[in-house]
Amino acid sequence: MRVLRITPEKCTGCLRCELACSYMQTGTFQPAKSVIRVAPFEGITSYAPYTCVQCAEGWCMTACPVGAITINAAGAKDVVDDTCVGCKLCTIACPYGTMFYDPDRRKAFKCDLCGGAPACAAACPTAAITYEEVATEDWLGDFAAARAARLLAGVA
Amino acid sequence: MPRRHLIVGGGTAGVNAIRTIREEETERSEITLVSAERPYSRMVLPYYLDRSIAESRVFTATPAVLAEWDVRAHLGRRLARLDPARGVATLDDGTTVEFDDCLIATGSSPVRPPVPGADGRAVHAFWTLDQCRALIADVAPGSHVVMVGAGFIAFTILNAILALGARLTIVEIAPRILPRMIDAAGAELVERWLTRHGVRIRTDAHLTRIEDVPAGRGRRPRKRLSFAAGAPILADVVIMATGIRPNLDFLDGAGIRVNQGIVVDDHLRASAPNVYAAGDVAEGPDRITGAGVVHAIEPTAQEHGRVAGANMAGRDVRYRGSVAMNIVEVCHLDIASFGAWDDASAESAVAALPDRPAYRKLLFTGDRLTGAIILGPASDIWTTNDVGMLKGLVQAQTPLGRWKDYLRANPFDVRTAYLATRTAGALLPETVLGRPAKAPGTTPVAV
Repeated sequence: MRVLRITPEKCTGCLRCELACSYMQTGTFQPAKSVIRVAPFEGITSYAPYTCVQCAEGWCMTACPVGAITINAAGAKDVVDDTCVGCKLCTIACPYGTMFYDPDRRKAFKCDLCGGAPACAAACPTAAITYEEVATEDWLGDFAAARAARLLAGVA
Repeated sequence: MPRRHLIVGGGTAGVNAIRTIREEETERSEITLVSAERPYSRMVLPYYLDRSIAESRVFTATPAVLAEWDVRAHLGRRLARLDPARGVATLDDGTTVEFDDCLIATGSSPVRPPVPGADGRAVHAFWTLDQCRALIADVAPGSHVVMVGAGFIAFTILNAILALGARLTIVEIAPRILPRMIDAAGAELVERWLTRHGVRIRTDAHLTRIEDVPAGRGRRPRKRLSFAAGAPILADVVIMATGIRPNLDFLDGAGIRVNQGIVVDDHLRASAPNVYAAGDVAEGPDRITGAGVVHAIEPTAQEHGRVAGANMAGRDVRYRGSVAMNIVEVCHLDIASFGAWDDASAESAVAALPDRPAYRKLLFTGDRLTGAIILGPASDIWTTNDVGMLKGLVQAQTPLGRWKDYLRANPFDVRTAYLATRTAGALLPETVLGRPAKAPGTTPVAV
C-alpha cells in the first residue's frame, strides 16, 4: 500500500502540512486539529513531521470495543464517527502516540491518509512528506537521535 | 468430524476468540457459544447511561453476526459444570454440550460489601446492561447520587451521572480516590479538580449501613448511608462500585488450576490441555514481568481472546503478555496509567505544571520505563499523544540509555525521547497474531 514517507531532513518547519491536514479533517484551518504534528528539534532549528505509520497490528483498531476503527480504501486505519463513542481506549492502545481525541465532538480521530489523497503530502513544498508505495518504517528515529543528542549533554 | 469449539462467555474475550477462530481455521469447525447475556460491550455502557448512544449500539455479536459466523448460541444460559476429561459441559438448564476444546471467558461480577442494606431498593451496581437499565430508570435531573467506591469503574460513569443532571457524592473507604489506578499525588490533583466541578468526595469513609428513609410530606423516599465516623448522607440513588471478582463458580470439581484467576500459559491454555481461558477470568502473563496476573481490563480481554482463538484454530501463537493500562476522563481531565505504576522498588520521576491540571510520574527499572501515570486536560493534544508514547515505551521496553536521565529531568518531553530511542521502529514488526490485524466486519464466513 502507499504510505506517507517522511524525509525529516527536508522539513523546514513551515507547518503547511498541519494547516492542510486540519482543513481536510475539520474543514477549518486549525493546526490544533491536525493529525500530523511537526516536532521541533535542537531548540527550534530543525523540524520533522510525525503521524500514524498505519502499523500492521492496528492497535487502535483491535482495541476498539465497538469496531469503530476500520481499514479504508486507501488501507488506512480510519475512525467511523457514527460508531465511535469516545471511550479513548484507542488512545492508550496505540503505542505510537498518533491517536487524537476531539473533546467537542467526543470522538477519536487519526490519520486516514485522506482516503488516498493525503493533503499533507500535497501541501509540503519540500517533499519532506511524500505518498509512496513503500514499506512503512520509523522515519524519524535516526534523525531524532542525531538532532536531539545535544539535549543529553545537559543531563548526563 | 469437524472440530468442536465451546466458547463460554459472550463478552470481549469470547467474541474476539470466535472471530479469530473463523479468521484462522483451515477447516470449518463447529462453534458453540454459551453466554448468560446477549453479547454487548461493557465499555460503552457509560455512553448509553447518559443517552449519548441508543441501546442498540451496545451490542457486538448480534444474532445476525452470530448467524454469519455460523455460531450455535445458547444465550441466557450459564455453565453449571465443566468436565474437561470427557469434553462435556453442562448448562444450567441441564443441556449438555460436547467439545474438543473450550474457552472460559465468563468475565467478572461486581462484589457488594457485606453492609446491611447494600441489596435494597435504589441501590445499584453498574456492571451489566440490565444494571445499566435499572440505573437509567432511577436517576433523574436533580437526583442526589452517592457512589460507594472511587475506583476505575466508578469513574467511568462519573461524567454520565453529571450529564444526567444529578448531584454526585463519592465515598471511598481508602484514604484517597483511585487507589488502584494512580498514586496519591495524582489522586490529590483529581480530587481537587472534581471538587471544583461540584463533585463531593469523602475518603476514609467506612460505610456501615444503608437504610430506607420513608417518603414524607411531599418528599420522595430516600436512602440514608451511615458511616463509622462522620455524618450520614442522604441519597436518592446509591451506586455500589466496590470491585469485581472473576466468575469461576462452575469450575468446582473441574480440576482446573485457579489462583487469582484461571492460571494460563503463554498460549492462554489452562491446566487441562483442552481448556483455554481469556479475559477477566484468566491469570495470564504480564508483558513486563512475565508473571501471571489478572488485569481485568478490556484490551487484555481482546488480546487474550484473539490469541486463544488462534491457538484453538490450530495455530501456534505465543502471547507476549498484556500491558496493564487504564484511561478515564472526568470533567475534561484525562487520567491514565500504564504498567507497574505503583512499583515501590522502581526509580521514579514526578512533575506537575503550575498553570494547569497536569501531572506525570514515570517509573524506571534499570534503563526501561516500566510504569507511568499521566494526568492532563483532555483538550491538550500533547497529553493524548504522550499517553500513546508512554504506552509505547512501556510496551517496547525500550532500552533508554542516557534518555532515561533526560526523561527523569523532563517528564513533559516524552516525544523527543520516544523518537530518539527509535521506539517506533522497535514496535513496527510487532503484531499480536503474527500477521496484520483484520478490520472489524471483514471476517471470512466460509472456509
